Order: sequence, then C-alpha cells, then structure tokens
Amino acid sequence: MITPTLQHYLVVSGLLFCLGLLGVLARRNLLVVYMSLELMLNAANLALVAFSHFNNQLNGQVMVFFIITVAAAEVAVGLALIVAIYRKRQTAHVEDLSSLKF
Amino acid sequence: MNLSLFQSEIAVVLLGLGVLLADLWLPSEARNKLGYAAAAGLVAIFLYGFRGLLIDPVHVSVFPIGGSKFGMFIQDGLAVYFKQFFLLAAAIVLLMSVEYSSRFTAGISEFYSLTLFALLGMLFAASSNDFVMMFVSLELITITFVVLNSFQRNRMASLEAGVKYLIIGALASAFMVFGIALVFGSAGTTNFEEVRALQKTLAANPVFLVGLLLVTVGLGFKIAAVPFQIWAPDVYQGSPAPATAFLAVGSKAAGIVLLMRVLFGAVPMLTSHATKLLIVVAAITILYGALCAIPQRNIKRLMGYSSIANAGFLLLGVAAAPHEGLTATLYYLTGYLFTVLAAFLVIAVVLRETESEDISVLHGLGHRSPYLALALTLSMVSLAGVPPLAGFFGKFLLLRSVMAAGTLDSSYYLLVAVAVVGVVLSIYYYLGIIRAIYWGGTNPDKSVLRFGITTKVALAICIAGMLYAGVLPHFLVQTASNAVGSSLHPEPVTAQTSAAR
Repeated sequence: MITPTLQHYLVVSGLLFCLGLLGVLARRNLLVVYMSLELMLNAANLALVAFSHFNNQLNGQVMVFFIITVAAAEVAVGLALIVAIYRKRQTAHVEDLSSLKF
Repeated sequence: MNLSLFQSEIAVVLLGLGVLLADLWLPSEARNKLGYAAAAGLVAIFLYGFRGLLIDPVHVSVFPIGGSKFGMFIQDGLAVYFKQFFLLAAAIVLLMSVEYSSRFTAGISEFYSLTLFALLGMLFAASSNDFVMMFVSLELITITFVVLNSFQRNRMASLEAGVKYLIIGALASAFMVFGIALVFGSAGTTNFEEVRALQKTLAANPVFLVGLLLVTVGLGFKIAAVPFQIWAPDVYQGSPAPATAFLAVGSKAAGIVLLMRVLFGAVPMLTSHATKLLIVVAAITILYGALCAIPQRNIKRLMGYSSIANAGFLLLGVAAAPHEGLTATLYYLTGYLFTVLAAFLVIAVVLRETESEDISVLHGLGHRSPYLALALTLSMVSLAGVPPLAGFFGKFLLLRSVMAAGTLDSSYYLLVAVAVVGVVLSIYYYLGIIRAIYWGGTNPDKSVLRFGITTKVALAICIAGMLYAGVLPHFLVQTASNAVGSSLHPEPVTAQTSAAR
C-alpha cells in the first residue's frame, strides 16, 4: 500500500483536465459540453486542494470554495440558456447553432 | 478596515439592488425610465471619484488572506483611473439601453441592474491584487455578460451569441483556474506583490511558467486577442447593441487592466523576457482583425472585427512595455471608449427601427438625422486614425513607444510595419461606413430618426471626448502616466532579451 503523494494527485488532476478538454472539443451536445467544462473546473479544484494539503497552506482550499460558488452560478445561467435554446429550436446540438455567419 | 476604499463599489451594489427593488413597485410603463436614474447615480459616483484622481493616489491594499502582509484589493493610481473609465462607460451604456429598450420584450430593469453588476465586476477587476480576486471579478463580468448577450430571448441570434460566449468563456476560465492552481502550487501564494518578490526563483520553475501561460489564456479571451478571438464576431453580431457596446469597451478594458497587473505587477521580469511572444500576438491580432473586417456587410460584425484589430493596437503598448507604452495603451483605451460608444449609440438608434443589420440600413442617414450621421462619421474617422481626433493621437503614441523600444530590439520595427499596414487596411472599411452614410444610394425608409435628449447628450459627451482627447491630450496623457507610474513596475526590454538569445 503506497501513500499517495502530490504527484499522484496532480497526475489525476491533469488527466481530468485533459478529459474535460477532449469532451469540450469532441462532443456535440451542449449539455455534454457543459458537463465537460465542469470537469475541467473540478480538475483545478483537485489540484488546488492537493497543493494546499502538501504545502500546509489553507489558501488553496479557500480558493476552491470561490470556484465552486462561481461554477454554481455559471451552471444556473448556462442551463437556463440551454433550456431557452431548446424551447426555440427543439435541439441542443452544437451544429444547429449556425445562424451567425456573414 | 477602511470602508471608504470601497465607496464606489458599495455605491454601485446599492444602485443595482435599488433598481431591482424599484422594479417591484413601479408600473411597467415607467420601468424603462429606471435607466436614467441608474445612469444619474453612476454620473454622481463618477464625479465624486475625481477626488481620487486629483489628490495623490493612495497605495493601499486590504483584505489579506492567510497572514499575508499584502491585501487582495488594492487602491492605487491605476485602479482609480480605470474605475473612472468603467463608470463613464457604464453610464453611457445605460443611456443607450434606455434608447434601445423598445426592442426588449421584457425585463428591462434586469438589464439595467445586470449592467451595474457587470460594472461592479470591472471595478473589482481594476483593484485586483491577487489571482483569486482576479478570477472572481472576471467571472462576475463573464456570467453577467452571458445574460446580457442573450437578453433578446425571442431572437435566435441573441441566444446563440449568449451560448457561444458561455461555452468559450467557461473554457477560458477553466484554463485560467487551472493556471492559478499551478501558480499557487509553485509560488505558495496568489498575491501579485508576493509573487513579484519571488519572481527571480520562480522564473526557473516550469510549473509556474505553464500556470502563468494558462492565466494569460483567460485574459486573452477577455480582450479578444488572436488565438482566443473566435467568439468575438459572432457574439458582437448576435447581442443587443448596448450589450455589444459594453462588451467592446468595458469587458475589453477589464482584460487589459488585469493583463497589466499580472504582467507588470506580478511578473515584470518574466515579461521583459517574453516580449517576442507579445510582439507576435499583437501583430497577428492587428492583421487578423483588419483583414477579416474588409468583406463584412453586417455593421455589428464589422465592429466585432474592428474590436479585434483594436485589441491588437492595445497590445502594442503592452509589448513595448516601459512607461511610455503602458501610458499610450491607457490613453488609446480612453479615446476608444468615446469613439466606440459614439458609434454604438448611433447603431442602437438605427437598428432599433429595423430588423436588418446590413450596412445598407445606414444609407441616407445624412437626411434622416444629420446629427447621428455626423457622430458616426466622426467616430469612424477617429477609429481610422485621422488627425484631429483621439484615435490618431492614440495610435501615434503607441507607435512612438514601439519605435522607442525598437532601438533595443529590432523586431519591434517589424511590429511597427505591421501596425501601419493594419491602419491602412482599416481606413478602407471605416471609410466604407462613411460612404454608406452619404453616398450609399437611397434608403426605402426615409422616416426621420427620433431619439431622446439624453441620447443627444451622451453623443455630445462622446464627440467632445474624442475632440478633447485628440486636440488637448496633455491632461489625459499626464493622468495616464501618473497612474502607470504609481502602480506598475515595468522593466526595460533591453539587456535581458539579448542575453536570452
């Protein structure tokens, strides 16, 4: 049984971040894209908590609370917007958002 | 703790909440007049704030976290300068929203209060002295702008603009948060001044450098600099005109002030090593904005590309760094405020009457309203950089600062050449708008455009500002120079770049 070190946490956090980024780039459903964005924020949260724990400083954990609050506000606005689009178009796909072109 | 440091922030919060509350008791016909009250409140805060410019700028930081001796909120010359800037911009945007309010189906008071809350985010951004503060104030701006951009819920274009801003904005902030985590992990602090004290040791730490790069991604999104500019044309085109105007002026300026705080407040030494990167970004941004604007027929989309090109010009001063460059950026930004808000005031009045946003709606504007035609012409002339107006002197100062930096590093001369090409290209599409106004042919709609006295006053302020900044720039340049001198610590480009090569 190995005790997890800072590196372990950072690798997991980096993987989560890359998975989230992949989801944003590759997925075509607005809700899934949005979930992937939340995954990226949580990857940062994990890194902050890990740094905070291993550096013996609480500042990073305080920052996590700010991020969670901001992410909640962002989700509230984002989901409302996605619902508004769905009502208008009966779809939540990225390809259908193409009315703005020159 | 000294609450008087937060007086403008507290006043803006109270104003925003007051507008929301007043909405409950006012009859619905009277609600769109709330915008006048909000704008009057902002003008009062703006005038009161001049005390801070006239007396010596204080340099205090408050709200330390984790036993740090520096606070996360700073009140200094730069903060005061930008707060005045944001208050003026928001007041004019509110007047514009009242003029445009007939195009909103519902919730006009929410539009006003959200504008005020976005302004609050900008005020806090101007005073940020900590990565955490920077993140929270940027998010306050981004999230309120998502709502403002998608405010015309019955128009698909507006919803689409909102969702594009939301997704790309959230992506940029995710990068920024991860960057802040890496900065915190490697530096052990998130305070700009503490990071500056440690920058010699941190410069060799790759984790810190990656973190810093990710933070600048988030800021690059805000100012619409090149790799992160994709959202700008679509969002500018789809959003309601007042939201677009505030996005072009307020949100961009918030990005610039934070970029300055990070690059020249937190890591000035690293910045002086990385000037090549800034030069490349500035050059590509100018060229991209200018080239893509040429074929555009939609006015708001054209302004979107113009805003990208202007982001490039603002970055010229940041790339040329020391004192003169940053002063020129501040001056250019102020001239840009008057110029762009004048253009959008006219665009808002014209577009209120029509569904189309094609340049041809400007045809015959000289007959429909000579005053609007004059204001839009002056604004385009200023954006194109023709002498007596603010845009010319701003570009002159920027190019002069880049030339001065060129004596130390010859790649700056290339940047000057690119900027001159950008200016020449931009003359083509700005003059295209003037041609549409006076020589564009006839417009089927010959009705006289009517607009309120407050819009006239707002336009007069913008025109006066353009002329004043262009003809008598001394006071503005001096104020900008004091603001930079008292707050930032740019290091000369000189020896470090040549040593790095």
